[in-house]
Amino acid sequence: MTAQLVVFYLLGAITVLSSLGVVLTRNVVHAAFMLLVALLAVAGIFLVAVAEFLALAQILIYGGAVTVVVLFAIMLTRTDDQPRADHSQRPLAALAAIGVFALLVVAFVASDVANLESATGVATDAETGFENLALGLFTDWAIPFEMASLVLLVALIGAIMLARNVEDGE
Amino acid sequence: MLELVHFQILSAALFSIGIFGVLARRSAVLVLISIEIMLNAVNVNLVGIAAFSDRAADVRVFGQILVVFIITIAAAEIGLALAIVLRVFRNRGSANVDELNVMKW
Amino acid sequence: MGTEAAFLAPVIPAIAFALILITGRRLPGIAPYLALAAIVASFVVWIVVFLAFLDDGAGTRSIEWFTVGGFEFTWGTTVDEISLVMLGVVSFVAIGIQIYSLEYLRDEPRLWWYFAVQSLFAAAMMTLVLADNLLLLYLGWELVGLGSYLLIGFWWERRPAAEAAKKAFITTRIGDVALLIGFVLLFRATGTFDISDITQLAHAGTIDETQLKWALIFIFGGAAGKSAQIPLHVWLPDAMEGPTPVSALIHAATMVVAGVYLVVRLFPIYNMVPDALDLIAVIGLLTALLAGVMALAMTDLKRILAYSTISHLGFMMLAVGAGFPGVAMFHLLAHAFAKASLFLGAGSISHGTGETDIREMGGLWRKMPFTTVAFWIGALSLAGLPLLSGFFSKDEILLAVHTGRLNDGFLVVTFVAIAFSVLYTGRMLYRVFLGQLLSSNDDAHEPGIRMWAPVGVFALLAAVLGAAAFEWSHNYLGFVSWVTDSEEGFHINAAITGASVVIVVVGLYLTWLIYVQRRISATVISRRLGFVAIAAERKFYFDEVYQWGINQLVLPTARLTAFIDRAWVNDIGVDGPGKTTRWGGGVLRYIQTGMVYNYALGMVIGAVVLGVIWWSV
Repeated sequence: MTAQLVVFYLLGAITVLSSLGVVLTRNVVHAAFMLLVALLAVAGIFLVAVAEFLALAQILIYGGAVTVVVLFAIMLTRTDDQPRADHSQRPLAALAAIGVFALLVVAFVASDVANLESATGVATDAETGFENLALGLFTDWAIPFEMASLVLLVALIGAIMLARNVEDGE
Repeated sequence: MLELVHFQILSAALFSIGIFGVLARRSAVLVLISIEIMLNAVNVNLVGIAAFSDRAADVRVFGQILVVFIITIAAAEIGLALAIVLRVFRNRGSANVDELNVMKW
Repeated sequence: MGTEAAFLAPVIPAIAFALILITGRRLPGIAPYLALAAIVASFVVWIVVFLAFLDDGAGTRSIEWFTVGGFEFTWGTTVDEISLVMLGVVSFVAIGIQIYSLEYLRDEPRLWWYFAVQSLFAAAMMTLVLADNLLLLYLGWELVGLGSYLLIGFWWERRPAAEAAKKAFITTRIGDVALLIGFVLLFRATGTFDISDITQLAHAGTIDETQLKWALIFIFGGAAGKSAQIPLHVWLPDAMEGPTPVSALIHAATMVVAGVYLVVRLFPIYNMVPDALDLIAVIGLLTALLAGVMALAMTDLKRILAYSTISHLGFMMLAVGAGFPGVAMFHLLAHAFAKASLFLGAGSISHGTGETDIREMGGLWRKMPFTTVAFWIGALSLAGLPLLSGFFSKDEILLAVHTGRLNDGFLVVTFVAIAFSVLYTGRMLYRVFLGQLLSSNDDAHEPGIRMWAPVGVFALLAAVLGAAAFEWSHNYLGFVSWVTDSEEGFHINAAITGASVVIVVVGLYLTWLIYVQRRISATVISRRLGFVAIAAERKFYFDEVYQWGINQLVLPTARLTAFIDRAWVNDIGVDGPGKTTRWGGGVLRYIQTGMVYNYALGMVIGAVVLGVIWWSV
């Protein structure tokens, strides 16, 4: 039981529990905060997997921007009567979710991907590394990178257009 | 010893939880949040593969590159989706998915 | 131009038919003259071809029409004695009929249509008699049936006429089905539809007997339908609903003899199957006898003539059955002109007096002398008065029955049938023309020249054509042997001829006593004969039996079929899929709940299922 494993289990438990909180709680605001916890825990997992940049990006984007946007949305779509948080499909949804989980676990456990692991465990800093990420993003994957930023731009514009109040003559 | 399969099982669990949330929650915002959980599950999986794969380093990093893109797109998507939800809320007075059933038989 | 030009004879009236159809409504005036010009042209073609034939002998000509799976359909003509006789009769009689129609139907608004169908009929009939293969013959056969239907039902606003046209068509249709079956069977037996090929195979004796027998029986079924033999004779009397010129042309001289023509044409193969010839002889004789009896009981002038026609067709078939197709052709020729003049004369009478019932006639010789003379010539010719053409043809028939392959019983019955033909002829002549003139017929008068001229011409021919029976030269040994290309010359059997003359004289005298001198009462005789007389008047109940058959068999079957068609084929088969689809759609639409999360659930479950399936496979 290495330290890595313990940390992983801890962070994993936090993630799972807070996710469960997101989908099970009645209070929408509570759900938003539980989401924040879950996302930050995932950032921790990224760190365990030696993906520091990603952990950083996760905290900034998800923890910062996404959570705020979600909270704003919750605020703007509140109605006074919220008797139920879930609807009649709940049992079937649970069934479906369990089915998906089972399928995925079986697939992961039985597949050969498990044999891809390196004998030495998690790669060290020098083998994955920030450098390679940067190199990849700006050379081989430069075009998708630019496209991604374009997508962001379009989404931004779209969101503005959709969310504004309609004014005459505009 | 930490193995790839741990990451994958965590990813599967998060994904299933996310699916439950999408299918069971009533408020549109909550559904979108559940989608975020699903996307994060995918990211966990990809990062795990990037860490444990026994290919060369510059090839292995593709997992992380993919996560970058996914985070980007997820952010864009939730921004847009929430704008749509706001719109719907303004037009229909409700953001509950079971009250939005105009396109029914 | 030789015998190959024969094809023009049917083609020209066909063109006239098409032209009249196109121009008929807008230019109705030219229709009769188009038709007349066409038929005269056909007659001219006949003259030319006939002369060419005398020089060159028989000839054929054929054009390929289309080919199906290695089998070739051809338009073709055969020119020999038989087809020439028929062609001449058809075209010449048609000329007379059309001229007569110009006067008889003068005020008819649909005259253009009448002449159109007349042209169609002429074209079809000529195609039939010239055909060199059985399929083309069948085509002509069907088309003349169509022409007959259209012309019988010319005044279709009258219910009886429409019914009569239907009856004619359906009855001959039954025959036509048999005919087609027969042709197909014949094809199976011989491998060809070409008549000359079949004839050659017949002479070589290489056709399978059993197949051939059934083929011939069915073919005779078709001939019996068209030529109004018992039991398919019922349509001919009703066909009198059509205009009288139509009755003269189609139902006396041309179409009804198509059946006789057919068996004469195919006589080489009929000769190979004695049973078939027996059948023809029996039916023919039965028809001749029964129709003669029924003619005696009729009171409508045209009906008497109709039954007389049926009877004479029976005589023609009898001659074929006896083994003498040439004799049948001779009687066909004599009968054609005589009957045509009789029907046209009847038309003149109805035109002049407005009557068709012989009980409303009498003493017409005072008002319509020309018609009287012509009518008497035609009628007495068919009764067998010596030296008229009918005398010679009847004599030939008797000779054929006596010397042919049939036994003497046939001869006796034939004499009886001839006796009846004399009786009904005498009755008709005396009642219509002699005796007292009814006051209602005071204004009876002869018709215009366009009507009395054809009557006269035909009567004349009926009188003199008997001369054709004799041997006139080395090459011409008499009509009968000329037609069948045989060596036997014309001869007379004194006993038979004497007997027939006696029958004629006695019969005419007997009817004189009954109908002119009123010494013997007709009503007493019919009462004495009791049931037979009633049956004769009721036409031996053929119509009633057929109607019963239709009501009990055909109509229930039709209703059942209609039910199956409506309930099963239409409601279930055709509407079924449509209604089922709509019902299914009506049920399935509830899947569209409008709730997105329902759809999402479906997607997830579907994905899981697919994953499991893919995984297990």
